[in-house]
Amino acid sequence: MIRSTLLAATALACGTLAAQAQDRTLTISVYGFAQDEFSEILYKPFEEKCGCELVVETGNSVERLAKMEANKEAPVIDMAVLSTHDALAANRAGLIDTIDTAKLANFDKLYDIAKDPLGDGTAVGYTFYATSIVYRSDKVTVDSWADLFSDELKGQVAFPNVTTNQGPPALWMVGKAMGESDPTLAGAISEVGEKRDDVVTFYVRSSQLVQLMQQEEIWAAPIGRFAWKGFADMDLPIAWATPKEGQTGGMNVMVVTKGSQNRDLALEFMDYWLSTPIQTALAEGLVDSPANAEVEVSDDVADNLTYGAETVASLDLIPADVWLDNREGWLSEWNAKVGQ
Amino acid sequence: MFQNRREGLALALPAAVFACVVFLVPVAILLSEGFRGAAGFSLTPYVEFFSSALNRAVFLRTLKLGALVTLVAAVIGYAAAYAIVNLSPANRGRVFGLVVLPLMISPVARTYAWLVILGRTGFVNQALTLVGLTDEPIRFLFTETAVFIGLLQLFLPLMIISLISALENMPRDAVPAARVLGASWLQVFTRVILPLTKEGLVIGGTLVFTGSLTAYITPAILGGSKVLMLETLLYQRVTVANDFASAAVIAMILIVMSFSANLLLKRLARARGR
Repeated sequence: MIRSTLLAATALACGTLAAQAQDRTLTISVYGFAQDEFSEILYKPFEEKCGCELVVETGNSVERLAKMEANKEAPVIDMAVLSTHDALAANRAGLIDTIDTAKLANFDKLYDIAKDPLGDGTAVGYTFYATSIVYRSDKVTVDSWADLFSDELKGQVAFPNVTTNQGPPALWMVGKAMGESDPTLAGAISEVGEKRDDVVTFYVRSSQLVQLMQQEEIWAAPIGRFAWKGFADMDLPIAWATPKEGQTGGMNVMVVTKGSQNRDLALEFMDYWLSTPIQTALAEGLVDSPANAEVEVSDDVADNLTYGAETVASLDLIPADVWLDNREGWLSEWNAKVGQ
Repeated sequence: MFQNRREGLALALPAAVFACVVFLVPVAILLSEGFRGAAGFSLTPYVEFFSSALNRAVFLRTLKLGALVTLVAAVIGYAAAYAIVNLSPANRGRVFGLVVLPLMISPVARTYAWLVILGRTGFVNQALTLVGLTDEPIRFLFTETAVFIGLLQLFLPLMIISLISALENMPRDAVPAARVLGASWLQVFTRVILPLTKEGLVIGGTLVFTGSLTAYITPAILGGSKVLMLETLLYQRVTVANDFASAAVIAMILIVMSFSANLLLKRLARARGR
């Protein structure tokens, strides 16, 4: 009798907890990258902490924005992560809201460039990456973005396609090496177009570059720092360039969907993601470079990330509005000069 | 066969409904995007598409590679299929299994294998250097040649299977009879084998040509963006520019090209049969 009463009470308690958890559901939309690690480090601990259910949707930015646009009147996504220029596109389409940073206890710990990347309070950076040139140090020396098109590297370079997140930043820096700062990137695209036949491939996924480097198809390529580990682990003399024009890169940001019914829970989740322990665990797992300035990692880990105030301060990023306003033009120009 | 037409229709209804819901309706919605102008129905998206030099170049490259792959697959396919049907039943089964085997392997894996084989340090370049045909490695990757080889390897089994089926239905004594009557091997092929196996060629040709037009992975990996094809251009328009109107135009062009190829092959087959 006592046993059955206990069982019934336990079942009732479990049922109540489950019901409460289902009452609080947060739907997030993120990139499909490293989801096993995110689940272990971020999602499951947060679910335990908040007693809520986290629904994770993955996909690329285009899919994410299309879904947010399609459900504008009755949002199905509460919180999303995007690149800065896609976040600006979402803001211009009226899809995201201002973030109440007073509710983010970890906000002050962020590097300054991550606090308000769009300048209007609608996004908070959670990770960023440097973009520079990896190269075979036994074959060539790379001191400038212009070296990508030197005689030494003729027929030995992979360049990011303009359609990738690495393409425009690489063109941005090639333009700077030519003494240009034109946001249309016309000069840089023309230069790449003229040297088109000297470029082995205009890559779309940085993951394919490791194999091309291993097969000696290429000796150099501009990449994001997040892809560096694959090169560092190779049994070849590979170096990360520090060009005289500087390094570029990109940042990913968190946004809250306008009209979300779970605004406070979304902010709670964002704050948890930005906290020092979580950002440290993600950094140590080589998942994401930290935007939280209090994160401390070993030299080995730091070597594979975009880490430290000095590195962050040195990044020459394309402003989000420049990217968004010129994206179509870059693609047309690229297709005309490079694509044919 | 059926007691009445209604019974037959009832049996076909589930498949018809399924096809409509999951295929015809979504495709119709997508394709309608390509005919949408500022004031309703419009062909402007098509005019704009073909007014771009890049798009025209991509269209012609896709057509050229598709036709070339189909032609070479037909030539190799006839030789291979004829050899296979003339094997003993036991060996025929084994060799047929080898033909089918690549179809059981992911196209991604098969394409990545070519990435290694055609590389500067790959098997092909090593062999060419070894026999003294070249002093330094030839660049195959990210060229039309690489895409052509990848597509041919991908779809050749479909052509061989279609032709094996057609050759098996051919009278066994047709070729020996033609030879006895003094026909050369070329005459045997053009006057006997080709007319009797034209259905298999039409099916195989359609499968190979359509497959070559619509394959995405192989052109993307072996050609990259230096060898843009219609399908890689379609992907670019959707994922980068979020431009579904252009995507719909490209999809419609691909559909029209596939149907046209099928009609052309059927017409050629009919002409040969007369």
